[in-house]
Amino acid sequence: MPESLSMNGQLLFAGLAIGSVYALVALGFVMIFRATNVVNFAQGEFSMLGAYFLFMLWHGLELNYFAAILVALLIMVGVGLIFEITVYYPLRNRTFLPVIIATIGASIMFQNGALAVFGPSPEKVRPVVETTSGTGGIMLAGVFFDYQYVIILLVTVLLVGLQYLFFEYTVLGKKMQATSQDKDMARLLGIPVAFMIALTFIYSSLLGGLSGMLVAPIFFVTHKMGATLGLKAFAATICGGFGDVRGAILGGLALGVIESFGAAYISAIYKDGFSFLVLILFLLLRPQGIFGEKVAEKA
Amino acid sequence: MFEVRDVHVAYGAVTALRGISLEVREGEIVCLLGANGAGKSTTLRTVSGLLHPLRGEVLLDGRPIHRLSAEAIAKQGISHVPEGRHVFPGLTVRENLVLGTSNQSNVRRDEMEADIARMFKLFPDLERLKHALGWTLSGGQQQMLAIARGLMARPQILLMDEPSLGLAPILVQEVFRVIKEINIGGTTILLVEQNATMALAISHRGYVMETGRIVLQGPARDLLQNPQVRDAYLGGGKPA
Amino acid sequence: MSSNEIKKATGFHWLRPGYLALVLGAVVVILLPLLFTSRYTTNLLILCASWGIATLGLVVVLGYTGQISLAQAAFYGLGAYAVALGTTRWGVDWWLALILGLAAAVLAGAVLGSTTLKLGGHYLAMVTICFQIIYTLINTNWIAVTGGPDGISNIKRPPFFVPLNSAQKYAWFALGALLLVAGLVWWLRDTALGRAMRAIRENELAAEALGVDTRRVKVIAFILSAVIAALGGAIYASGYLYISPDSFNFDHAVAFLAMVLVGGSESALGAILGATLLTFLPEWLRDLKRIYLVIYGCAIILVIVFMPEGLWGYVKLIGRRFARTAVLPSARGTLRVGGRGMAGEEILRVEGLVKHFGGVKAVDGVDFSVRRGEVHALIGPNGSGKTTIINLLSGLYVPSAGRIRFLGRDIVGLRPSRIAHAGMARSFQNLRLFRELSMWENVLVGAQREVGSEADTQERAVAAIEFVGASDKAHEICRNLPYGHQKLVELARALAGEPDLLLLDEPGAGLNQTEKQELVRLLKRLNDMGLTILIVEHDMSLVSSVASVATVLNFGKKIAEGTVDEVLRHHGVVEAYLGNREVALGV
Repeated sequence: MPESLSMNGQLLFAGLAIGSVYALVALGFVMIFRATNVVNFAQGEFSMLGAYFLFMLWHGLELNYFAAILVALLIMVGVGLIFEITVYYPLRNRTFLPVIIATIGASIMFQNGALAVFGPSPEKVRPVVETTSGTGGIMLAGVFFDYQYVIILLVTVLLVGLQYLFFEYTVLGKKMQATSQDKDMARLLGIPVAFMIALTFIYSSLLGGLSGMLVAPIFFVTHKMGATLGLKAFAATICGGFGDVRGAILGGLALGVIESFGAAYISAIYKDGFSFLVLILFLLLRPQGIFGEKVAEKA
Repeated sequence: MFEVRDVHVAYGAVTALRGISLEVREGEIVCLLGANGAGKSTTLRTVSGLLHPLRGEVLLDGRPIHRLSAEAIAKQGISHVPEGRHVFPGLTVRENLVLGTSNQSNVRRDEMEADIARMFKLFPDLERLKHALGWTLSGGQQQMLAIARGLMARPQILLMDEPSLGLAPILVQEVFRVIKEINIGGTTILLVEQNATMALAISHRGYVMETGRIVLQGPARDLLQNPQVRDAYLGGGKPA
Repeated sequence: MSSNEIKKATGFHWLRPGYLALVLGAVVVILLPLLFTSRYTTNLLILCASWGIATLGLVVVLGYTGQISLAQAAFYGLGAYAVALGTTRWGVDWWLALILGLAAAVLAGAVLGSTTLKLGGHYLAMVTICFQIIYTLINTNWIAVTGGPDGISNIKRPPFFVPLNSAQKYAWFALGALLLVAGLVWWLRDTALGRAMRAIRENELAAEALGVDTRRVKVIAFILSAVIAALGGAIYASGYLYISPDSFNFDHAVAFLAMVLVGGSESALGAILGATLLTFLPEWLRDLKRIYLVIYGCAIILVIVFMPEGLWGYVKLIGRRFARTAVLPSARGTLRVGGRGMAGEEILRVEGLVKHFGGVKAVDGVDFSVRRGEVHALIGPNGSGKTTIINLLSGLYVPSAGRIRFLGRDIVGLRPSRIAHAGMARSFQNLRLFRELSMWENVLVGAQREVGSEADTQERAVAAIEFVGASDKAHEICRNLPYGHQKLVELARALAGEPDLLLLDEPGAGLNQTEKQELVRLLKRLNDMGLTILIVEHDMSLVSSVASVATVLNFGKKIAEGTVDEVLRHHGVVEAYLGNREVALGV
């Protein structure tokens, strides 16, 4: 196999895997936005918190790795609920500016809270499949398939599939969709809208936490990891079409791949900048993204 | 069966309802008429709990409900089909209907299917469209869906806000025919309409509103003949 | 009455204490470096001044104009690096370097501002964050130019009347600059530009419909905020004589935001309060240095939820207790409306007007015209397309097809502000007042034009307020006015631009009988003065009293036109409103 082909295959695979993480975080954004019209600037911090909770439980309390994941997810349920009650609920009737600012404030609080509690040194978390030499994988057709990356992809596919099934085939899923589409009408039908919104925040928190736990073994766990993750995921949702679930997933994957190739072929130093450049291009040329509708205001 | 007593409602600085009282008895169709801006929709929204009165009460079978949330009032058996239809655009016709039962706990699957079948008999078009998404339906079809969805709640009282709005005349006839049929089937209806003649033709009693007050009321038959109804919409020729 | 007299009489109580505050500020500026003489505290004063200036930039773009900017630290950095590089590597005079930095800020601000035009809200927040992050990335990694993480040292001080060779002297320089910028930002608030900015913050659509070129003003707001921040950065650089990328990153952009929110984003003094507090607080809470950003984050949330106007909001509340109600002067002349032209000439002509929204035909091929001196009613049942037509005429919507000629010009495709300048004014069905501004300020926005002086603007505004009879409440904040008065403000605002044609969208909605009678009286007077009026209304008594001609719509089409009497008796119209008897009885 010619070297460039296998290298490109490698870059593609890695890009898709990281892109999956972006997609999961992006999904969290979109869920909250659809239900409440709020852009949650603290979404990335849910990932960071998930990773840190996992680290704390597995490394600090020395729980079994898989038990730690479960407990951390449970904690994220609480985080989502508390976040909804303290940040979203008091501001639910105000214009969007206060809400954006409040979620930015929450983001800062989480980041620096983590810094204060855990300190600035990056932490390491074991991968799901533990091998003697750290994270292992298998070689196939000249491409090295890192186990963790494979797991990330599998989990993402599984999650997206489950989410689809939930929203398409359960009454609760339909009620949540209805709440997103027309909140007042949902209330008139007797749907407990406040509860639906709380569920949405909890779900987004779980998505965030899970994505953080998945990506932790690959990059280090730091208090800053949520910031970059969140911003890139946000860029992904805008490029994909804000508020659109397909857009979030496609955008996340695409951004991951662009970053992967960009870092290899253009510049590794400015790797983080590619997402933002793509974002700016979209914002200037096609702000509604790939799947989105035109943004307009009614008189 | 339910009663509105001296209700005052304000939106911020605007007083929309200035002390209105009306009642709806079981089995009736009562219509609420008046020009745009008279306060008809505001009245319905106060009954269904989207708005809360500053003064006055709304009583259902003698129990005050005006402090309850909209969700709670829906559970009490009041079903509001709002102006503008508001079908869930991203859900199918069938899904919209299923969500109509959200006000009941422990809905039995077979009973719900029977209700849906009944809706399809009442609105044959909807059966054909049962897997179509809400936004693809025409205005008339959406109106039918909204009414059917309201009925799925097995309401004691159906509040209908301008069901004929934006519909072509032929469809308007159809809608009103259905409303009459629903009432014959036993549902009590409070109907808000701009199309006064149509509304009065199928109602038992009517109230006419002007700038937040009730200015006229009586049996529908009488109101149909009463020139003052026309004045409420087209002015009495009395210069201000 | 001279413009000075108008200013003195119409100014509310703050204007004079404002000048007082400046004098007081000058005294404080002189005293501070004398009181705090240790090297450490003097440096803090310099830091406080630099941050204060950057925060003042946010007052302009966020406080006044309502546009969120999280790139303020990047602009701050542009100024700092310009001066740093200029005086060390490029061997340029400090002031020239400053100008280079300000020019870069103008460019950056213009670019950022232009992105707001298509976007708003969270998109805007994203773009500014991206800009900030890309700036930091380049700053840290383009080592050849910026020195990278090592930063730049040995920055020079600016040549000045007195050599600024001590920290104390530089502190005076920095604080003096702060005072100067604060004064300018404070002065800006009550200029036409400042009012336009605040109108945009309150209700951008209404501002545009009144003649404010919202695009231009938003870009200007960003440019100003960038330039001011760059100045702050330059002062910081020459104060500390060493800079590194760490001082210009996203955390600092957030800190500036926190400062402006805590202090009060709408006032220069508030910004200074916030900057001072958040400069010295970390120092006082030195032990909590690790978590001061946590506290910032928490503070932002608490401030937004519980005191959205910041500390300044409380100061204002106290200040209002001591407010003297200022009185408006009497107008020199009467309100001029109606323009010049022959009575009966056609001033508005609509041909084949069509508007689709998705699949819905809101307006389906409508023709009508309005003649000078008419009061022309546009009536029809709910959903017939009346408000859509008003929106099409005033430029808020673009027609799917058809022509609109106003005063001989084709106006399809023109911005609403241009149409307003051409002589067409409008009111909104759901009032779109600038709620946090006073009646006086609302009407001033309606009165301001691109040509003419502030005195002319004030003349027009006074005349409009007097005309509607609301002079006694002119300085009240609109949010606190009773509904009837709010409607008068909406009317006066539209009249203050001295329009040829006034579009009224349901002016009678929500009014009681007495108020409606007053409205009819006003409209009749306006018509006598030569104003042509197009009125959408549901109250037919009002229409009969005031209008001479009517066009009736149903389902987006015209179904009748003629005199009001003819039209109200037309059986098609009766049917449109009340329904068809035969059809009804056949159900």
